[in-house]
Amino acid sequence: MEELLAFLKGPLLVFVVLILVLGLVRQVVLSVWALIEATRRAGDRNIPYARVLRDTAIWMFPVTRLHRTLPVFSYASFFFHLGVISSAVFLQEHIDLFGPLGLSWPSIPRPYVDWLALLTFVGLVILLGHRIYVRQSRVVSDFADYAILVLLVVTVGMGYLGGQSWNVIPYSLTMVFHIAAGSTILVLIPFTKLAHCVLYPLVRLSSEIGWHLTREGGYDVVRTLYGPEGRKM
Amino acid sequence: MVDQTTITTTKTEETEVAAEPTTEQKGLVAEPKPEETKVTPEPAKQPYWYHLDRIPLAEDRAQKFLESFAAVLRHTNYKPVLDLYARSMTHCGRCTTACPVYQATGDPADIPCHRSQQILDVYKRYFTPGGWLRARIFGNHSLTNQRVDAIAESLYRCTACRRCNIECPMGLDHGLITHFGRYVLSEAGIEPKGLVVSTREQLEGETRNTSKVPLPALIDTLEFLEEDFEDMKSAKIKFPLDVEGAEYVFFTPVSDYLMEAESLMGIAAVLTAAGVSWTIGTQVYDAINYGLFYNDWVLDRVNNEILGETRRLKGRKVLIGECGHASRASKAFMPTFNRGDEIPLINIMELTYDLFKAGKIDLDPNVVTEKVTYHDPCNIARSGWIIEQPRAILRSFVKDFVEMTPNGRRNYCCGGGGGTVSLDEIHKFRMEIGGRTKMEQIRATGAEIVVAPCANCKKQLRELMKYHELPVQIVGLHDLILRAIRMPDSPGDQQSAADGSASSMVGSAKS
Repeated sequence: MEELLAFLKGPLLVFVVLILVLGLVRQVVLSVWALIEATRRAGDRNIPYARVLRDTAIWMFPVTRLHRTLPVFSYASFFFHLGVISSAVFLQEHIDLFGPLGLSWPSIPRPYVDWLALLTFVGLVILLGHRIYVRQSRVVSDFADYAILVLLVVTVGMGYLGGQSWNVIPYSLTMVFHIAAGSTILVLIPFTKLAHCVLYPLVRLSSEIGWHLTREGGYDVVRTLYGPEGRKM
Repeated sequence: MVDQTTITTTKTEETEVAAEPTTEQKGLVAEPKPEETKVTPEPAKQPYWYHLDRIPLAEDRAQKFLESFAAVLRHTNYKPVLDLYARSMTHCGRCTTACPVYQATGDPADIPCHRSQQILDVYKRYFTPGGWLRARIFGNHSLTNQRVDAIAESLYRCTACRRCNIECPMGLDHGLITHFGRYVLSEAGIEPKGLVVSTREQLEGETRNTSKVPLPALIDTLEFLEEDFEDMKSAKIKFPLDVEGAEYVFFTPVSDYLMEAESLMGIAAVLTAAGVSWTIGTQVYDAINYGLFYNDWVLDRVNNEILGETRRLKGRKVLIGECGHASRASKAFMPTFNRGDEIPLINIMELTYDLFKAGKIDLDPNVVTEKVTYHDPCNIARSGWIIEQPRAILRSFVKDFVEMTPNGRRNYCCGGGGGTVSLDEIHKFRMEIGGRTKMEQIRATGAEIVVAPCANCKKQLRELMKYHELPVQIVGLHDLILRAIRMPDSPGDQQSAADGSASSMVGSAKS
């Protein structure tokens, strides 16, 4: 078990982080490039960047909008995101993994990070319950939506248990589950909707740029489909 | 419920849609085009690559849809949008709480992100390497005619009001996907007859307007309105025609000349009272731009008709009448499609508000005593463009003004948005589903008059009030202004009637 744990925390983690970083860099670079190209092709290049930036920032911290619709889901989602980012990034044990690279940053003390993990877990359970029991959410969910939530439940749940003295599951086994599920999520991030962790700021911008049509696009489409003589109405 | 012969609630599973009526039966297809059976791309304009090479599609409509999809992706800016949406749509479901159609039906097919997902599925399957790989590993799952029909059905149930956009934490604009999807369908020959026939007359017909109103009839109408106003207010107004060098060239939905006499008189009264230099062109006078609802090529051409007429008359600004979609189609897309010098654009409510603030119009606060509410047309309110201006004017002279809840940016669609108001085939759908939330909103206010400054909204709301037997009058902003305006004894520097008013044009135009 210890050897497996060492493998998960060692070579496998390096591989996982490599896939994650390269995958996300590829996503960001390709998306930014596509948006730059779209802006260049637009007939009207006057993109309201300030408004897009403001709306993006507001929705990153949507504290005044959570109660507006689906309040239980919205609060659960907000606290889940808050908890998962802060506990994943600022847990001392996670920071220590980057020690060999000479990297270090401040951590959140143990009791607080435990509360954050618990908050994340509760948020996750509500999100999962919402997908299962609320009809409009269930009908738009696919296999990946459930699979990702289950993986997150295992990762966060086992991570929380691993730090508790009352945990009856052997520590090594808890950590194997925690790291295996967590590594799966990290690998999946660039290839699934989890990519929104880096694409989020670009999505709203793309919605704006999408309405900035190309000047000759309509005629080019007609020529492509109907030849130089064009089409009739 | 909905009339099943005109617009149906379809499931996306192919086995279930097999028995549905065809798209033609639903009235979504225009007359066959002679060119559409032969697709001959120019060598230099090859469509965007897609996986047709090894997975042949047996069915013609599906293949045309993909060819159209490919051509639109190649020549427009929609691809990065589809790409980002496909990679990051989280299916959180918040859009369900914003969509009036879904709220009325509860049908999963009407959930905005579900609707967009149908387009994104086609994109991922045929236009991404991942889709290519998955098709080979997990099987074919080719696009079928039935699936294309289901997509068309779904996209034309959307009123394109874009209310879902304001509740999406990710910033996805499902209205944009509806716009894109309808464009692709249109170039594949799947488009509503009601829109195509009108647009054909506007762009290629003799009258050059969507309602086939000939110029002599227009001039007769305007002459009648000038006389009618004089009888009503003992003052003169003018509808100046073809005046060169006017500050504003006025375009309004041509249906206003048939149905909205009081709106037009109100507008003319404001402009006359304030001494504004304006004119109506005699070659192009229709602001309707159905391209916004189904085809970017049409959107471009109609915009250039308006710009061309403004240049012919050497006008300095385009003035759009009371119409949401026409205003947005011009405001948002003229900078894109204008291939000449920039021509500023303003909506009549903005101009009236400016004149009102400048003290150039005098409104009697004792005339309109009924309870009045205001309906925000989606195309001018969702972006925050025109929300407060008409309200400021109304509050100044309407004794009992009440708001609907919600309103402004978060208003609900009248139920006839996205061009659906022009489709008589789906009247029942518009009355019972699309417009149900709006009907309930209006009923809750207890208002006797609803101000709806949009030709589409007015038509839909009048039908809605009649259908649900609500004793509510639907008017434009300038209808009420007409009732309250006090005309000055001597108007400002308005052009002389003899220079180009409707009455002076009667003889020449009729001949």
